[in-house]
Amino acid sequence: MQKLHLKVTNYTPEILLDCDNGIISMVGKSYPENTFEFYKPVMEWLEDYFDGNAKEKTIVNMEIIYFNSSSSKLFFDFFDLLEEASSDNKLDINWIYDEENESALEAGEDFQEDFEELTINLVKK
Amino acid sequence: MELGEDKLIEELEELKKSFSKTTDKIIKDLKRQNKIMERSDKRQRKEYDELQVKLKEVEELSIEIEDTQREVVFTMGAIGESRSKETGNHVKRVAEYSKLFALYYGLPEDEAEMLKQASPMHDIGKVAIPDAILNKPGKFIPEEFEYMKKHAELGYEMLKHSNRKLLKAASIVAYEHHEKWNGKGYPNGTSEEDIHIYGRITAVADVFDALGSDRCYKKAWDDEKIFSLFKEERGEHFDPRLVDIFFEHLDEFLDIRDRFKDIIE
Repeated sequence: MQKLHLKVTNYTPEILLDCDNGIISMVGKSYPENTFEFYKPVMEWLEDYFDGNAKEKTIVNMEIIYFNSSSSKLFFDFFDLLEEASSDNKLDINWIYDEENESALEAGEDFQEDFEELTINLVKK
Repeated sequence: MELGEDKLIEELEELKKSFSKTTDKIIKDLKRQNKIMERSDKRQRKEYDELQVKLKEVEELSIEIEDTQREVVFTMGAIGESRSKETGNHVKRVAEYSKLFALYYGLPEDEAEMLKQASPMHDIGKVAIPDAILNKPGKFIPEEFEYMKKHAELGYEMLKHSNRKLLKAASIVAYEHHEKWNGKGYPNGTSEEDIHIYGRITAVADVFDALGSDRCYKKAWDDEKIFSLFKEERGEHFDPRLVDIFFEHLDEFLDIRDRFKDIIE
């Protein structure tokens, strides 16, 4: 299994999926033209990773400063996938937000509320 | 028969479970969708509010910039005029005449407005002409007149470096407002439509106003004398089309003169 690194663009975050160190990280804005197509390789990588390739502990760092509603939907799917994996994997999930970014904080709170099985840490930058 | 019923019940129980699981998931998804929509609406409203505030700021700023530009240009024009002891109203009148000429000539409204703002700077080069020449009563000796003529080029030199549309227009006005339709003007002796329309317009506007005003070297002319000169100079000093416009809309030009009359103390 290989690392996946997507460079930051105007519309998409930098995404680093590091199977060697057990790190999943997304930093930046997310409002791609076709959200689900853009995240397809990411979701496929994650399925593959949690299908027996995961490290003992996986750190998830999400720092999304701006996102459209289909990205929001995508992140629900993303956390669904993590929630499913959480029964067999140790996950350390951080939702990182800037104090002034109200919508980022609210989104983090929504995910916290929705995914009872997951521990999502809201981390103020 | 009973065995069959048991199996049916078992299957129905399974179906019920899977149905309930599916409906749970649908309900969960619907709730999520609602939440996403709510959040999105809220954010959109906030962003739109912010956008409007910013837009208003930008609009105010651009008005501020335009006003400042207008004021600076007008003041520069007034400085040029004050050097030759003319009143501030001369530049106002030339500005208004120029716009009127431009509109009847067929220039678009925004360009006519720009010319209105630029034309007061036609004499800005006079800031570099010595007082002794500028304010000399009576006629110039040829050397003095040659020196005086430099103000067109001097004004152009001052303004030509700017990339601003308004200042570029002003540089043209300063440069060409003493050119004549027949090619006997200065500084270049350019003729007819080789003289920029801004230059041709400001020339008529400036002369019309200058003739009707008292100056240090002459008294104001009466209207009949001005009109007959305009007729003589049609196609000589002035663009014939502009002279025609002047007579066709004479009442409007005279109205401007009235509105911006010099107040004699």
